[in-house]
Formats: sequence, C-alpha cells, structure tokens
Amino acid sequence: MGSHSKTSGMAKTSGMGRRTLLKAGAAVGAIQFASPFIISARGDEPIKIGVDNPLTGIYTALGKNENTGMELAASQINAKGGILGREIKLVVEDSTSDKTDVAVQKARKLIQSDNVNFLIGNVNSSHAIAIAQVAAELKTVHIVPGGHADAVTGSSCHWTTFRICNTGAMQGNAMAGPLVKALGKKIYIIAQDYAFGHALHDGLAKAAAKAGGTIVGEEFFPLGTTDYSAVLIKARAANPDILVDLAAGDDGINSIKQAVQFGLDKQLHIAGMQQELEVIEGLPLEARIGTWMFEWYWKQPNVPHVAEFVAAIRKVTNKVPTARTWFGYASVWSLALAANQAKTLDAVKVAHTLEGMKLPPEVALMPGAPFFRAEDHQLVPSVFVGHEQAKGIDDPEDLFVVDQVVNVADVMPTPAETGCKLDFPA
Amino acid sequence: MTQVILFNLLNGLIVGAFYALMALGLSLILNLSGVINFAHGGFLALGAYLAYSLMPTIGFWGALLLAPILTAFLGLAVERLLIRRLYGRDPLYSLLLTFGLAFIFQDGLRYVWGAQSVPYQIPGWLASPLSMDYFFLTGYRVFMMIVVALAVAGLFLVLGYTRLGMRIRAGTLDLDTVSVLGVNVRVLRNLNFGLGIYLAGLAGVLAAGMLGLSPTIGDQLIMPSFVAIIVGGLGSLPGTLVGGLLIGVAAGMTTVFFPTATEAVIYVMMALVLIVKPSGLFGDEGRLR
Repeated sequence: MGSHSKTSGMAKTSGMGRRTLLKAGAAVGAIQFASPFIISARGDEPIKIGVDNPLTGIYTALGKNENTGMELAASQINAKGGILGREIKLVVEDSTSDKTDVAVQKARKLIQSDNVNFLIGNVNSSHAIAIAQVAAELKTVHIVPGGHADAVTGSSCHWTTFRICNTGAMQGNAMAGPLVKALGKKIYIIAQDYAFGHALHDGLAKAAAKAGGTIVGEEFFPLGTTDYSAVLIKARAANPDILVDLAAGDDGINSIKQAVQFGLDKQLHIAGMQQELEVIEGLPLEARIGTWMFEWYWKQPNVPHVAEFVAAIRKVTNKVPTARTWFGYASVWSLALAANQAKTLDAVKVAHTLEGMKLPPEVALMPGAPFFRAEDHQLVPSVFVGHEQAKGIDDPEDLFVVDQVVNVADVMPTPAETGCKLDFPA
Repeated sequence: MTQVILFNLLNGLIVGAFYALMALGLSLILNLSGVINFAHGGFLALGAYLAYSLMPTIGFWGALLLAPILTAFLGLAVERLLIRRLYGRDPLYSLLLTFGLAFIFQDGLRYVWGAQSVPYQIPGWLASPLSMDYFFLTGYRVFMMIVVALAVAGLFLVLGYTRLGMRIRAGTLDLDTVSVLGVNVRVLRNLNFGLGIYLAGLAGVLAAGMLGLSPTIGDQLIMPSFVAIIVGGLGSLPGTLVGGLLIGVAAGMTTVFFPTATEAVIYVMMALVLIVKPSGLFGDEGRLR
C-alpha cells in the first residue's frame, strides 16, 4: 500500500497542461530580468571603477577579455601608487549580452549603491548608449571600451562619455578604399540588426560610395541568428564581388562558417570591417579567410612595450591579448592618467583633462599617438588592415597578417559630421 | 525570386528537421514525466563539447557515436539524483531546477573549455556544397538530414515495437495504471529521460558542425524547440515533428520577404495556432495524454 501511494505520487504529472507550459515560459522570461544577488563592495578607501560588461551570453568572451585588460591595468596602476595615492578597485557587474534594461540597472547600481568614481562599459553598442545616458545623468565619467555604434560619440554623445574603440564611420573610411581597390566594386552587406550592425553598415555604405563602390544589396539579421542560409541565398542571388560580413561575436563565427560551407568564398570575396581574434580562433581552419581590419593586434614587432603587454597577459591567461584586452587596458589607464593629471576626482575636471589627452606609448601600444578628440571624446588611433591565415607560422595564435596600418586621423569624419554636441554642465 | 523562394522552402525544411530533433527529446521527457527541461540546451552543448574533445582521439565519426551516449549517461544521473525528487510536485519546481541546471551547465562548460568559441572541425568532404546551383545543400546539411531521419525513424521504431517503447507510450497515457501493472515507473522515467537527453546530445554534435561551438550554443535553439512542441500539440510526438518542420519553413520563408522578423515569426505562428486550435495541431485539448 505504502509502495502504491508513493508511486501514485510520482505518477501524478498528467495535470501539466499547455497553459502551465506557457505560464512557466513567461515566468522563466521574467526571471532573466530580475536583479541577481548583489554583493556590495566594502570600504570607502579605494577608488572604485565600475565595470558594466557582458559576462554571459554571446559577448561573454569579448567582455571577459576586456575585463582581463582592465585587471592588468589596475594592478599596474596600483603598483605605481594608484590614483591620487589611493588603491584602485574594479567593481564588476554582468550586464548580460542582450538585455539593455539589465545593463542600465547595473550602471545605476554601480554608481548609486556602490558609489563608484568612474564607469566602464559596454561591448554591446545599445547597452553603451543606454548606460552613457545614466552616466551623464549621474555625472560620472564613463569610458566605452568596445561598443562601436557611431551615436556613442556622435548624436548621443555626452560630456561624461569617452570611447576607446572605433566608430562605424571610422572603420568604413579606413576599409572602403582597400576593399574597392583590391576586391571589386559590387558590395553586398550582411549585418546584425541593432545599433552596432547599422553603424558599421552606414559607415561602409557612405565610404564605399566615395571610393567608387556600389552596395548591390544588404541584409540585417537578428542578434543571435543561428542559420544564415536564407541570408546567404539572397546575397549570392545579387551576384556581388564582395560579401561584407559585419557580424561580431558568435554571429560572426556562424555566418562566416556557413558562407564557407556554401562555397561562397570560391565564388566571391569574403571580407568585413572589424575582425577579432576571438572570432578567428573559433573558426575551423578552412573558414579563416578574407580581408578584414583589426583595431589592435598583438604582433607588432617594432612597436615599444607591446611585447611586455603580450607577455603580461599571457602569464595570466596563457593566451595572447586581443583587441578587446587592449580596449579594457586602455580604458582603465586613461581614467587613471586623467585623474592623476587633474589631481582630482571631480568629473568635470577629469573630463576636461581627458579631452585632447594623448595616450603614452606604454598604453597606446600601436604606431602613432592615439588621442581623445576634444570635440566628441572619441579616441583617434591607428587600425590594422590585413588578411586572416589558417595557422600561425611562428606562433599558433598569429592568425592575422597586417598588410597596412591606417592612421585613422587621416580618414576621420569631422566633428561636425559626427553630430556630437557636448553638454557640459554650466 | 521564385528560385530564392524555393531555395528557402527547402532550406527551411532542413533547419526545421533539426529543431524537430531537439524538440522530440524535450517532448519525450515532458510527455512522460511532466518536466519542462530547460537544461536541454545545456545537454546539447555538453554533447557538442564532448564530441569536440573526443575528435582528436576517435575522429568525427567516433565522436558522433560516443558523445551522445556519454551525454545520455549524464542525463540518467541527473534524473536519478535531482529530477526524480520533484515528480508529483507543481511543475514549476522542476522548471526552476532545470532552469538553474542550465546556468550550471553553461558556467561549467565555460570553466572547462573557456568562454571563447572553439574550432569544431568536420570532415572536409562534408564541408562543401554538393552543387554550385544548389549551393546551400552542403554535404553536411544533407548528412544532418539523414542522421535526423534515422534518429526519428529509430525513435518511432523503439516507441512502436519495443517493450520499453510500449511502456513509455502507455505511461504517457496513464502512469498510475502502468505502475499498478507492475512496471517499475522509476526505471521507466529514468530510461525515458536518458533517451530524450541522447537526442539532445546528438543534436549538439550535429549543430556544432554548422554553428560556432560556444557555451551558449543551446540558448538560441531551445526556444524554437519549445515552440515546435506547442505548435505540434502537447503530448503528440508526430505533432512535435510537424511543428519543428513548420517553424523551420516559416522562418526560412520570412527571410525572403521580411528578414528582421525571422525570429518573431515562429512566435506569431505559435500565437495563431493557439488562437485557432488551442490544443496545437495534433494535441489533445492542450493536455498530456
């Protein structure tokens, strides 16, 4: 009897209905928006830098690499006396990869609850734009390490926000010439359907027209798309010379991998604008192809301090730094340099100090002298145009061959073209 | 334009077959045990990573055979140690458990294999199109279709003609009576869960050949699979199969005319089915049989 009643209890599951399944799905969706358990930072002594970057979702690898660069910078800065003699401490939150409301909530929490002095984030352009708004409202100097949408330092710019990575227009201007000149005039663009994809698309479309190219078609697909066959079928039907793939992260891997499986690389040129080592390393050997641009690359034999930086990161992660690692590194160093130079944590004074500030060689880690343009707070660096290779010759992680270094200052849109009007408080 | 539509129709069927494979595993577990397994995507990812690690030693074909089996064994253990304790309780308990497990899986994979995507290499002769005209019909996609067809046929043969399959079907209809007739329901549920997880592992090994392999590989695939179950009708495995194919075709066709709605269209389709036929296309009054 006892055994029977136990079994009956176990078997009592047929009450599960469609409505329960739907309700359960909705509940799970809601859980994802709820605030997670938060551990507050202790003590008021250190200078706190809030990091609001993705640690889950499709941008996890990019977010974590940026954070690794920030950690190295923080340890180096602390070894040299910190900011104004005080130790700096990173307070890290997971913004998620695709939930802008969570990223905003974390930015508010970092500034209002954790009382961070500065804010850094985000990989996702939409997140970056949204948290820049929060930083401006709460008068906190904010650095966007790796969100590329033009609006961050363009139409949505704020006096509080500075950016390390390039805009779509900067990338388009740097890449359009080499693409049209070397690969052909008819271009088909595929891009992620959010701020980042549109920024890169707009930048390339405008620059390609100036360089004599024609956009013969374009396709925007949702973030996190898994199957690209329908997109690629349409692209091939347009018969372009170049298929320009503007997807980042896992979307970039999936789309390139499928394009190569379809044999498109044998019928047209596959290229893009910004490419990342994280993406190339995730591709099978046959898909490591095409002409791309790196915003920073680890192999620069003649540039001072790069080898030390690579060695320091390798010591921690057993891997070479990527552009993302450098974005994070340069973000924290920029804040420290500006605050130490301004001799204050006052947001307005630190922001004014950052304007026009040149990154020293040990932070710049590239040819030329990158600086923050005063009119829109955009870093003006050099970029690396080249091609992928399946296997590194001297080093297994050397998967990109730099053909040309472009000084972005030469192809930069003017401040007026960006649409940025800084809103410093009176 | 006609050619693009036909291409996308055919391609939609290929993608739909894949959704169906994953949805069938989910459906098996849901039908017999009433567990909404949100960790299914985690098992899928684990199957893919196991194959990735096994490949250098036993090759692609060995990994294709072994990785889903190893994943199924883990499924048996998870059911035995965790899921079993929640039978008979409100379905939200098991849902929360599997939802938490999904996070544990994802972080565990990230800890072992890293957050970054890894290069998953399939045999070269599969990674190219069969014809330049029908370039989207790659060797790998055709191979996937064949494996999915074999797996689905095998599943229906097991359910239709073996003692285990008959007990699973009977248990789906009335588990109490099956228990009274002397069938060990605990073992039955355990094996059924393992069978469902085997399908998830197999789906993972196949998916990684087409997609990049990262810890989040299951995330984008699990929701269409749930939609396939709802559209096909709760409790009906043939319905799940049809549901998977239908949403694949719907997504493919939408790409031709309104690409940004590719993802949304499957939910619109689910809403329409629920309005017109609340039990789903082949379901029984929206309840498990």
